[in-house]
Amino acid sequence: MIQQTQYTPTPSKYNFPQLDAALPTRFIELSLRSIKNIASQDATLYQPYETITDSIEPSEEITPVFQGQTKLKLNQIPLKPIHEETPVVAVDVSSIKIGETTTGILLAIRGAIVWKKQRHYHYLRIGPFPFHITEENKQEIYQLFRQYSLETPTENNHTASTPSLIHMQTRITTLLERWLQMSVATQSQNSLILLDGSLTAGTSDSPTHIVLQLLETARNQLNTVLAFTKITRLRLHGHRLTDLIENCTPPCLLEMDGYPIAPTNTIQFLGNIYVAKLTHGNCSFRLDVDRKTPRQQAIEAIQRLIANDILAESYPETLRLAHIYSTFTANEVIAIQRLLAQTHGIKTVTRPNIRRLLFGPFGKGPEGG
Amino acid sequence: MRLYRKEGNTVQVLSFPTENIEKGDYLLIEEPKQNKALITQVIDIQFANIPGILEELLRDSTNGSGDEHLNGQDFDPLEVASHITYIQDSRLLICKIRANLDNEKLSPSSAWMPSRSQSIIKRLPTASLLKLIKINYSLPIPLGETKDEAPLNIDATALDGKLNIVTGKKETGKSHLSKLLVLSLVGYGAPIVVLDLNGEYANLGYGADGKKNEYNNRVNVLTPGENFRVTLAQMKLRVMLSILIHALNLPGTSAREFRRIWQFLDERAALTLHELGEAIRNWRCNQHVRDALFSRYYALVNSGFFTDNPSDSVSLEDCFQKIRSGGGALVINLRDTSLVDRQIVVEYVLGKLVDLLTQLKLRAVFLFAEEAHLYLRETYWDDIVTRMRHFGVFTTFVTNQPDTIRENIYRQADNVFLFSFTNEHDLETVSRAAKVDAETVKSIARDLPAHHCLVLGTAMKDFPLVVRVRALNVQTMGQTRLFFTEKD
Repeated sequence: MIQQTQYTPTPSKYNFPQLDAALPTRFIELSLRSIKNIASQDATLYQPYETITDSIEPSEEITPVFQGQTKLKLNQIPLKPIHEETPVVAVDVSSIKIGETTTGILLAIRGAIVWKKQRHYHYLRIGPFPFHITEENKQEIYQLFRQYSLETPTENNHTASTPSLIHMQTRITTLLERWLQMSVATQSQNSLILLDGSLTAGTSDSPTHIVLQLLETARNQLNTVLAFTKITRLRLHGHRLTDLIENCTPPCLLEMDGYPIAPTNTIQFLGNIYVAKLTHGNCSFRLDVDRKTPRQQAIEAIQRLIANDILAESYPETLRLAHIYSTFTANEVIAIQRLLAQTHGIKTVTRPNIRRLLFGPFGKGPEGG
Repeated sequence: MRLYRKEGNTVQVLSFPTENIEKGDYLLIEEPKQNKALITQVIDIQFANIPGILEELLRDSTNGSGDEHLNGQDFDPLEVASHITYIQDSRLLICKIRANLDNEKLSPSSAWMPSRSQSIIKRLPTASLLKLIKINYSLPIPLGETKDEAPLNIDATALDGKLNIVTGKKETGKSHLSKLLVLSLVGYGAPIVVLDLNGEYANLGYGADGKKNEYNNRVNVLTPGENFRVTLAQMKLRVMLSILIHALNLPGTSAREFRRIWQFLDERAALTLHELGEAIRNWRCNQHVRDALFSRYYALVNSGFFTDNPSDSVSLEDCFQKIRSGGGALVINLRDTSLVDRQIVVEYVLGKLVDLLTQLKLRAVFLFAEEAHLYLRETYWDDIVTRMRHFGVFTTFVTNQPDTIRENIYRQADNVFLFSFTNEHDLETVSRAAKVDAETVKSIARDLPAHHCLVLGTAMKDFPLVVRVRALNVQTMGQTRLFFTEKD
């Protein structure tokens, strides 16, 4: 062990879900070890040219194909708020590229859980954890994340399943998110769990058994999982489904029925897909509700959400706060670079911009773009 | 600290929270290899423009602010938050270049551009600055201490032959500094005349405990109408005409008649108030002229400043004679004196002063004028800063209304002792002083605490310095009388 760190889990002052202490500890150890790896090399961090984004680009949304469907039905469901105290929990994770080294990339990752109970919002931020990912250590890092995201690594496919370096950011972010979601699903009861994204499973980021396990755990704890997709490509005969709900008086849902739940051999829609317009305004969202939740219970869950959370432009405040609290600002990137400089002597330098060098003022766009 | 930007004579330096730099501090931006440095002064401190700061503040606005609807905690084992705070609190020091140091030689140029990466920036302690600027302290006047607790002196010669202004808002310590300068100059044997509007200088000869101090026999307080009266015979016609025309607004025709009356009485050695009254009464002239002359005559009589009894009168010549050799202060106590009477007295004193100086009976005199606009006629301002200066009247104006002093006086001022101002208009007025840039004045003067003074000008070789004015062991007289005072 290069560096043994003793960190105690955050004391729960606000009745947050208790996190499994083992993962943060391993996180920190791995984070420090991976950074030490840079320090032992040339200790130079090249500033990335990409605009500093608060989170990774979402993977391409998988939507059901309705074209040519004859059985497809669209039902409008008016909603009435159910004013019964129901806790609302939301999870979001952000990652950001801090820089590049001669051997890899340096990422920072942070998660946030926001919890609304009895008219009070509480948050727990986990991180940021900087990781230096190289070809040498990516497998170790990835396996750690998988292990704690309830994916059991098989003995013989470690190398094969480890994504390439450029995809590691997306994959690690998703894995941490899954771990936080699982922690919340395990420790919450009778709650509404809000996720960012859809309940589509079978992709490399969201293996079916993981999402199934998450939903099952939530159900066993009498929770309901509601997944909001901010930008959706849901279309029917070429028309955006979110446009079809414009005529409904909010709060309302547009329920779809009759689409195949397994569009391919691997992909599965584990949620019932709705279009939700929960408040007046311009926005409506794709909303996935656990398919195994009875229809009436699913609708009631949304009605409870309307009554128990603040909604602006149909988007729940709890999920909005989770996004805000996990997002990195430019200053935080500088702070992490400073931390690395101070603790490990890693100097951040700006790499010559090849596009600028070659094309002068015409060399636009990111370095790698 | 890191050099961030240089524009003209302004330098911006990035500073971090642990580097405790304040407005008014001096920084040395040096490149040891080149043996060159810039001496700069911090005139403003701003937050550095940190990317993403607004988002962070909005996000964290609830933390620690007692918002009961949103709270939480962070699991931040690597303590990145402390680095975030450090960066959030980083500051931009706006500095003015005061001098260029090339091989230990000072020059006022700001042309040299230090390297961003190679230059070393450090605070320049006042003691080191004073050593660099090499002020000659043959006659030091201890003003007080700077923020880094270094004693700050000016040299008495820096006030000699100079025009000075002491200004600041009420109750910031102007009169206190003025008294300090008066006593220090007296200590070096200088003759001083103080035009004391509020009777604040009357007890300069007494210590805080009420006992006589070392200056007691060198401070002479003259209160018009009490121990300061003059006979008409002591006056010159020119001075009397100045009083009548400028203080009492006597029209030209009447002034001509008065001249004749005065000459008539002078020839007969009958220059007394009584004879003057009789002469006006019996003089053959237009009734309107007589009325005009009478009204001025009674103004002179009622002022109580004039007497026909030579034993009641005071000879300013004798007073100046006393303070000529060993130094001393002649305090003209104008407290409880009406506007017209004040003007009469001041016209007389300044007229007499010029007479003595032109006759070389007096080498030079330091004149301290408190709120001079309340007794000095318009034409005297230019007179004082130009003509009278050449005669040897070295004036220090003390005012809390900077706009009452003309712009040309600010431009010609050699030293400005600037106390705190908050009013934009006042700051704008004071910033016209030619000895320093307007930004320095506006920025530093605004934030000066009470009893702190920004010294500008020749006395500091044009290196502005903030000083906390030292206490004086003299009886305070300038305090405002209060209604709701604590009863014992």
